[in-house]
Amino acid sequence: ETHLKIHYILPREEQVLEAIDTRDGVFCAELLSFKHPHVANPRLQLSSPEDKCQQVLEPPYDEMVAAHLRCTYAVANHDFVEAYKSFQAHKEENWYVSLFKQKCILAEQCFKSAEQQLQKKGKGKVGDMLEKAAEQLMSCFRVCASDNRAGIDDSKKWGMLFLINQLFKIYFKINKLHLCKPLIRAIDSSNLKDDYSMAQRVTYKYYVGRKAMFDSNFKLAEEYLSFSFQHSHRSCQRNKRLILIYLLPVKMLLGHMPTTQLLKKYDLMQFTDVTKAVSEGNLLLLNEALAKHETFFIRCGIFLILEKLKIITYRNLFKKVYLLLKTHQLPLDAFLVALKMMQVEEVDIDEVQCILANLIYMGHIKGYISHQHQKLVVSKQNPFPPLSSVS
Amino acid sequence: VNDKAYGGSSAPEAPVHENPEWEKARQALASISKSQNSTKTSPTNRTTSQAGQYQTAVTDSSAMQQQQQQQQYYPWYPQNQQQYPGYAYPYYNYYPITTFVDVECLCYGVPGAYPPPTTPTGQPPAMPMMEEQSSSYSSEPQPPPPAVPQPPPQSPTSSDQPPPPPPPPIPPPPNAQYPPPPSQNPYNPNGALPYSPTDSNPMRGYNHGQPRPSYQGYQPPGYPPPPQQGPGQGPYGGAGRGDGNKKPNNANMNKGGQQLWNRMKQAPGAGGVKFNIQKRPYVMANQNFPPGEQPPGLATSTAATAATSAATTSTAGAAQAGPQDWPQAMKEYVQRCFAACETEEDKDRTEKVLKDILQSRLQDGSAFTIDWTREPLPDVKPRQSRWEAVPQRSQENASGRGGATRGRGGARLGNYRNVFSQRSPSSSSSRSSSRSPSPHSRHRDRSRHRRSDSGSQSDSSISSDLRPISRRQQRGGRGRGEERDRGRGGERGRGRGGKANRGRRNMDDPGSGIGKKRKGGNAGLDFHDPNREAKKQSRAARFHTKRTEPLVLNINAFDLPNGTQEGLSWEDCPIVGTCQDITKNYLRLTCAPDPSTVRPVPVLKKSLTAVKAHWKTNQDYQYACEQMKSIRQDLTVQGVRTDFTVEVYETHARIALEKGDHEEFNQCQTQLKALYKDCPSSNVGEFTAYRLLYYIFTKNSGDLTTELVYLTPELREDECVSHALALRAAWALGNFHRFFQLYKRAPRMAAYLIDKFVERERKLALGAIFKTFRPSVPVEYVQSSLAFPCLDTCLAFLTGLGVAFTPSDPSKIDCKASSACLTTS
Repeated sequence: ETHLKIHYILPREEQVLEAIDTRDGVFCAELLSFKHPHVANPRLQLSSPEDKCQQVLEPPYDEMVAAHLRCTYAVANHDFVEAYKSFQAHKEENWYVSLFKQKCILAEQCFKSAEQQLQKKGKGKVGDMLEKAAEQLMSCFRVCASDNRAGIDDSKKWGMLFLINQLFKIYFKINKLHLCKPLIRAIDSSNLKDDYSMAQRVTYKYYVGRKAMFDSNFKLAEEYLSFSFQHSHRSCQRNKRLILIYLLPVKMLLGHMPTTQLLKKYDLMQFTDVTKAVSEGNLLLLNEALAKHETFFIRCGIFLILEKLKIITYRNLFKKVYLLLKTHQLPLDAFLVALKMMQVEEVDIDEVQCILANLIYMGHIKGYISHQHQKLVVSKQNPFPPLSSVS
Repeated sequence: VNDKAYGGSSAPEAPVHENPEWEKARQALASISKSQNSTKTSPTNRTTSQAGQYQTAVTDSSAMQQQQQQQQYYPWYPQNQQQYPGYAYPYYNYYPITTFVDVECLCYGVPGAYPPPTTPTGQPPAMPMMEEQSSSYSSEPQPPPPAVPQPPPQSPTSSDQPPPPPPPPIPPPPNAQYPPPPSQNPYNPNGALPYSPTDSNPMRGYNHGQPRPSYQGYQPPGYPPPPQQGPGQGPYGGAGRGDGNKKPNNANMNKGGQQLWNRMKQAPGAGGVKFNIQKRPYVMANQNFPPGEQPPGLATSTAATAATSAATTSTAGAAQAGPQDWPQAMKEYVQRCFAACETEEDKDRTEKVLKDILQSRLQDGSAFTIDWTREPLPDVKPRQSRWEAVPQRSQENASGRGGATRGRGGARLGNYRNVFSQRSPSSSSSRSSSRSPSPHSRHRDRSRHRRSDSGSQSDSSISSDLRPISRRQQRGGRGRGEERDRGRGGERGRGRGGKANRGRRNMDDPGSGIGKKRKGGNAGLDFHDPNREAKKQSRAARFHTKRTEPLVLNINAFDLPNGTQEGLSWEDCPIVGTCQDITKNYLRLTCAPDPSTVRPVPVLKKSLTAVKAHWKTNQDYQYACEQMKSIRQDLTVQGVRTDFTVEVYETHARIALEKGDHEEFNQCQTQLKALYKDCPSSNVGEFTAYRLLYYIFTKNSGDLTTELVYLTPELREDECVSHALALRAAWALGNFHRFFQLYKRAPRMAAYLIDKFVERERKLALGAIFKTFRPSVPVEYVQSSLAFPCLDTCLAFLTGLGVAFTPSDPSKIDCKASSACLTTS
């Protein structure tokens, strides 16, 4: 029976060997990937694959493969926690970057599954597993980042960006954005930062852009996310959509409204009403739109960003008031009426002053309030400067 | 033949190799051989006769040495396998000291060794002899003893030795601690028998080797001192004392033995200590014992020598078989063991352990039958842990050991490799020996199919491989720099820095080393390597090197942090307190709780009531906090997660909030969040709101978003939550008017939290106000907008900021002039 098993492993191992020998990391990674059909082979789902692997493979790899097989076994038995353990063992071994990547991806998947499983059992805190995963990745990252000896061509530094992206992924998931900082610094100071593969760079910029957005650095966010969006492969519609989810709010905050076509193309129609409301200064519609898709926006993590569009909406609304009144001295009551028309609850003149104060403070309106006369006095030139010139 | 091979290798090497590593290896070998010899001699006559025996034996000295070396290698390994019985006996039987040694060895090397009983005194000894003679130990192990003792030269001693008598005396002290004593008898017999037979056989072998004479010389001196030192030397000296062998001087052995011995003495007391000691001794022995010195050492260290002799004798028993006869797989096993050593200590320990193992293995013949490739490396480090603390992985020790061995053993053994690599020549010789038609050859074959089959090829490949590897290892272990030069080496070096894996990696080095080579080669080459075939072959050859230990995934031993935490969860092992005190001071638990100091829930309920009352009347936060913490602790310890628990945490959270105790408040909040999942309380909304407000305070928009995700519609309806959400919305838009209106209407204790960031928000609002209003703004407006309770506080705040009031009307703020003060402040 054992022999049988070995035989089943053998062909595969041979391939792995071949791959190792030719340094074909990509192929090797494929062989050790969970997408490879071998995973479904029950004969390879061994609870203790060490012996076989040891017999067939040379040291650094036998363990790796053994761990992989163990993992396969664990997954087959829906024991994701065990699988997670297997992956921890994996970590140290892989120095072929592509292999490495594969493993990291697998690891993350496993971590996620493991976490889900744990949560089902009511054990473990959210993010525990992911944090473990991050630790593992971090250790890999340090190895890569400290590889100063190897030539630039086969330096492990080429694995850095990949690892960083994986780490970003986790950090975003567990809301530990502050941990991204050192990683960003590492890349910023890297002389390879523009030489990584476009795919990696797109991913990287995507995450950094998102981070900038959460830090309210919208200009930077726009830059990164735009880069990401423009350089995504055209076949990666899903990725482009993901990017857009963050790029759109940023763009809108900066005064660039998306066209309906764009929203349609990427199936982001949740934004249509928002876009419309903002550009019309329709506060009511905006509130409705936000409420309607609140779940979606919150899950995307952009609800709080979109909320800031209210300020733009106020600005547009008040601009309308100004255009209607055609004067530079606008009574505050007019704005109060406008706000009440938008069904803002419990609004009073003080709040109008407050809102105007904020708009002026942020530069959306050029002018001042005369408290004594209860009037807004706006600049005769360009009282509502274009959004793109503000902030 | 074998001897020759060995002798050739060893002898030449000894002179040639100046490498420290080499020296060690040699010494190790020598020690083994010595031990073996000694054992042989010892068997003949435990004490007195030893010298004579040795001398006789010595005749073969050169051969003996060689043999010893060989034997040593093997014996060690086998010993492990065979387990303790084998070990202790051979070495210790004769000399009391030996017993000590054995004990140590046992402790360290082979926990299982203790089983000594397995080798009943008489039988085992006989066994070895028989085996050796027969070639297959298994068959006639016992018979040998008689034969051994009898052998004329050694026979007397051997006969004596075999008898437990000598050992018993010595062993008792040490033995007392360990089971070894019983085993002694068995051992003695074994040792004795083996010796005598071995002697005869070995003699042959030795003769071949010629070294014997030297051997005798060594032993004789050593023997006199016999007992105590002997043992110490045996294990320690033996291994370390490879010098003796290499250098050929028994004296060395003796000296080493003595020194070792002393150390040994300490060691006997505590396993860990011993080891440390050993290390030094080892070094000492090497350095201190130049050939010339050796003699003196012998004289002085009569006792020690005796001990050593004993040890040697014991090993000798094994040795009798003759290194030549040792299965190749066993030799390789030895190499692997040393290759796995990282430090001198490791080597010493390994040496010791190996001796025991090999000896016992050889004696009972299992050396020729077991699969050495699968034999776990001796777990050197674990021993320490044993003594000092409960072994973490008792399982490993018991069965596979693999994990531990690998990790730790590997790391330790690292340095040894070097030795071996250098030794490679010797190994090659051993190969030849293996090929030689020794009676045991079949067994070897059995034990190791591949290697034996591949024969010289595989061996040669191995040896060649080993050398580079060893070098690398040295570098790796000592200085990474060198490794780096090699490209991958660097990696490895780094890797080692780490954990258990390290060990393994070292072990892997051979393979990886090859890999390196390849790599290096490839670097220059193309992917389309014309040498594909060659590569394949090399790959194939590589496989023979395999990993030194069986591959065992860490995963097995790996404990999920979560797992452990969960394992330790209070809920898993609930206790019920019996303490009836209403109040109890808080003490951070540092050990398992004592039920007598833990209050059960009914008492805790009274406690909570009392604390609340006390708080209301006295407002003594320190007291309240301490009481609350002790209540919480008691609940935690008892795994109580009920509504009452929630109440306790809520209460404490409120008190802490009121007093602005962030730390406690957050702790309670964290607990409450988890508790609410199981025990929903009517206050969920309140504390959810607090959490939201706290996120506002920390400006943690990420967590805020996350929190929003989990807000159910019902929860949003909650008074506190809806208020917090409204406040958050106002805050996000900078709508200070609304923000402060909400602040004024804060439900429950929300205001306490908002207080934390009210000032921050006021300043922001003032910034907007000052920029917006022209030419001035009345203080009243500021006061009402920013929710100052009264004009005075507002004025105080403003003046605190250095706000400028209009000269004409002090009730108005000069906005233009004031905007500067905010930016500066």
